[in-house]
Amino acid sequence: MFNPQTQKKINRFRQIKLGYGSLIVLTIILLVSLLAELIVNNRALIVKYEGAYFLPTYTAFHPGTDFGLDYSYETNYRELQLKLSRQQDDNWVLMPLVPFSPTENHSSGNQFKTSAPSFEQKHYLGTDTTSRDILARLLYGTRIALFFSLGFTLCVYLIGVSIGCMMGYFGGVYDLIFQRLIEIWSNIPFLYMVIIVFSVVPGNFDTTSRIILLLLVMVLFSWTSMTYFMRTETYKQKSRDYVAAARILGASHSRIIFHHILPNILSTLITLMPFTIVGAITAITALDFLGFGLPPPTPSLGELLKQGTANLRTAPWIIIAAFSTLILLLTLITFIGEALREAFDPKKFTAYR
Amino acid sequence: MVKGILRPSFPGSLSLLLILLLGACSNSNDTEKNLDSKKAPDNTAEVKAYYVANSEFFSFKGLADLPHDLVWENGSELPEFGSPNAIKGGTQYSSLQDFPRTLRHVGPDSNGSFRRWILDDVSMSVAQTHPNHSDKFFPGLATQWAVSPSRKTTYIKLNPSARWSDGEKVTADDYLFSFFFYRSTDIVAPWYNNWYSTMYTNITKYDDYTISISIPNVKPDMHARTLSLSPTPQHFYKELGDDFVERYQWRFVPTTGAYQIKPSDIKKGRSITLSKVDNWWAKDLKFWRYRFNANKIQFNIIRDNAKVFESFQRGDIDQFGLNLAEYWYDKLADDHESVAKGYIHKTTFYNQHPRPTYGLWINSSKPILNQREVRIGINHAANWGLVIEKYFRGDYERLRSTADGYGEFTHPTLTPRKFDIELALKHFALAGFTTRNEDGILVNSDQQKLAFTLTTGYEALKDVLTILKEEAAKAGLQLRIEVLDGTAAWKKAQEKKHDILFSAFGVGLEMYPRYWETYHSVNAYDQAFLADGSTNPQRKVKTQSNNLELVADPKIDAMIDRYRASSDKQEMINLAHKLDEALFDYASFSPGFKQSYFRTGYWRWIKHPEGFSQKHRSGSTQLFTYWIDQEAKKETLEARQSGLEFEPEIKVFDQYRQDSNSGS
Repeated sequence: MFNPQTQKKINRFRQIKLGYGSLIVLTIILLVSLLAELIVNNRALIVKYEGAYFLPTYTAFHPGTDFGLDYSYETNYRELQLKLSRQQDDNWVLMPLVPFSPTENHSSGNQFKTSAPSFEQKHYLGTDTTSRDILARLLYGTRIALFFSLGFTLCVYLIGVSIGCMMGYFGGVYDLIFQRLIEIWSNIPFLYMVIIVFSVVPGNFDTTSRIILLLLVMVLFSWTSMTYFMRTETYKQKSRDYVAAARILGASHSRIIFHHILPNILSTLITLMPFTIVGAITAITALDFLGFGLPPPTPSLGELLKQGTANLRTAPWIIIAAFSTLILLLTLITFIGEALREAFDPKKFTAYR
Repeated sequence: MVKGILRPSFPGSLSLLLILLLGACSNSNDTEKNLDSKKAPDNTAEVKAYYVANSEFFSFKGLADLPHDLVWENGSELPEFGSPNAIKGGTQYSSLQDFPRTLRHVGPDSNGSFRRWILDDVSMSVAQTHPNHSDKFFPGLATQWAVSPSRKTTYIKLNPSARWSDGEKVTADDYLFSFFFYRSTDIVAPWYNNWYSTMYTNITKYDDYTISISIPNVKPDMHARTLSLSPTPQHFYKELGDDFVERYQWRFVPTTGAYQIKPSDIKKGRSITLSKVDNWWAKDLKFWRYRFNANKIQFNIIRDNAKVFESFQRGDIDQFGLNLAEYWYDKLADDHESVAKGYIHKTTFYNQHPRPTYGLWINSSKPILNQREVRIGINHAANWGLVIEKYFRGDYERLRSTADGYGEFTHPTLTPRKFDIELALKHFALAGFTTRNEDGILVNSDQQKLAFTLTTGYEALKDVLTILKEEAAKAGLQLRIEVLDGTAAWKKAQEKKHDILFSAFGVGLEMYPRYWETYHSVNAYDQAFLADGSTNPQRKVKTQSNNLELVADPKIDAMIDRYRASSDKQEMINLAHKLDEALFDYASFSPGFKQSYFRTGYWRWIKHPEGFSQKHRSGSTQLFTYWIDQEAKKETLEARQSGLEFEPEIKVFDQYRQDSNSGS
């Protein structure tokens, strides 16, 4: 499947226990967050009603009237469960482990306010200032942060690597012009741009398009740093004999760049990746913390951190939950990065550099 | 700023930036030189010429010309407020979220929250509304005043002992100069230009301490307009010119009031301190003598509210507003150590004041929202009851309309529409929104979703909107919340680009509500109607006005015009009620909540007069009737070290509480 050299690197990575273990844990977190709807949701997993089975998790909404209730809006499955269990016929509801959505206000008392973790209420990590379940917000928030940062890294790499490699490969005027452009571009203050862009976004954008837009804006101002590394690396590789050989054989520029040079600078790319991901998670968290990130009530780590710091004395469970999650994520990714760097270190395999 | 730019690590951009920087430097040098080299201008002659050119407005007469049959008033029968036991002295510590952007009273950036400390709450006017009798006035800079039989002119005798904080006398000329000043385009304040040009018709100087002021039409509250005038220090604004904005940016305007700011007390970005004017001229004057007790008021800049609260708990700040339920009940609960030990006192004070108009301002010029049935549906889909009951913990009440809190002028029976899913669905159905899509949101036959953006600039209240959003979804209405920076949100609303805006107009203590600004069609569209009264098909939305709901209805217009022209209080009351009904019918405003009291926490050494505050006050610091007991401060700080406890004090003052359904 892989060429022997890559296989060697992978094997070496697997030997570094800390990094390999972190990768497994992170993968599990990713998988779990992908299935979040089945674990943390106010929609039931299965409803058996009047002989028919319903699986409402991923389908269109079921109005209350579907289950003999007197309202036309989305069924409250928790209440339905309670009601059906009292009726003693064979209708039943199976709720997920945490039966709350990240945006619904569910208060155990009469007020929307923070409440401490409670197994009885099934708020395993407590609630925030408007009685929303913290575990739910944490899981969905983490999912957004993780996929956001993966998407971010992908985009930044795509643009940064292509332009950086081209700068290094073609050199000359092309390099000169692009370097100047990048210098000017990277002097535009990123935070102001986010604020400006978001103040002119038409209001009818839904949350998903806003997230994508935020991603694009962030990518737009972050790809530049990637080009510096790629440019120098390509410069170095370009003067090597194998490139000259490929050229004599008549390989096209794109073939040389992507098939010959790129694999040789892969180690730089991969070792940088965790830092980019960490940077993206921190950036989106910071933006949310400052109030310029995702529109409320989208669950987010930054928003939780903000609530946590504002309620440090009265509701310490908010900051504990948000902070530990953030630390866990960043630590895992750093460990993976460290292991990758070690595994891909070319000094292990080459005699000279 | 320059530091940020001077960070280039690349030679290419360095040279470019250097050129830019040099350009900028030379420019600023030039302007500085200009300021220096030009002798400070003197506009005395210009002002005189202006008076002559506008001789209809500015009259000069002798004392003999004063009508003889005037009935003079001086407000001396009114009760004094404050306490004779007040101890003078001490420093009050407070905080500001942002450093004030200017010390000017007018012009760009001047209308910030700091202005009350240098103008609104501190400076003196001719006479002022009594805080316990909103229709009576107590003297400030005047000794007495009289109203002409036509009720259009007010004659004023000024107090000859009045002094500006720089020692100059306050004379009739300073009042005349006000009109020159506020009409000048140099101050870059169009609202003032307009107000001072249209709301008054004449000012007459009889001698240095006698003037009269006339207004164009008789209004029941004409007193408020003439007596609330304050003088403008002519000697200080001698240099008024087209560079006003920069020239006066950081110069403290001499005040007639008790507090001034010394140049050495302006620590930009860090703190700013008010200090008592030495030998303040009004210090023994009735209505003024028991107030402004602290010697200094120091404001430190603390940007984050959570940190302000921490400073308050440490005792670095003396007072803290506890209006929000989470502070009152959780963060500074009655069993909080400092409260239970009696170090910090908590007080609820019921007041009577027009209420800020929190609610949903629906832009009725937008597609779909221009259908009345949709707007009624939205009114029924907004679950304010839940917000008030659960989020505000039942502390607030439902606002009734944008004209709530004006006594007789407020409609006595009109109540806002209640949250009712069935009714909301019914009205949405009448507008064609009959089926729910897979997310439960209503769609019409063109597959248009019933979805709107709900914009707000109140970051602190965004939780209110998330609750409304969840509840509205039950009625098939999707609200997309957009929380913007305060200025950005206001800009969007002023450009009428919002769908639905969650906002409030702060309202001053006025006798009757205003309708023209927010509901007249001239503030909604340019040429809303054609000559024959039909809707102008080519009308354009008018920006930069306060008609945020784009209400344009000839019948409402007619009523507002009559209301504005009327001088008969009863007619105005009737019209106000009819307007409230018509606007209720139009359904473009979903009234939110109001608070009929203010709550505050303060350290034990801050003392308040008997009865705590005054009927028509909206906050405990507004009239400066509190004082700092420095012995108590020492005692409390020592007690905190030694663990000594005092009697806890959690008080409710409900002497001005009104039945929540009585309407005002």
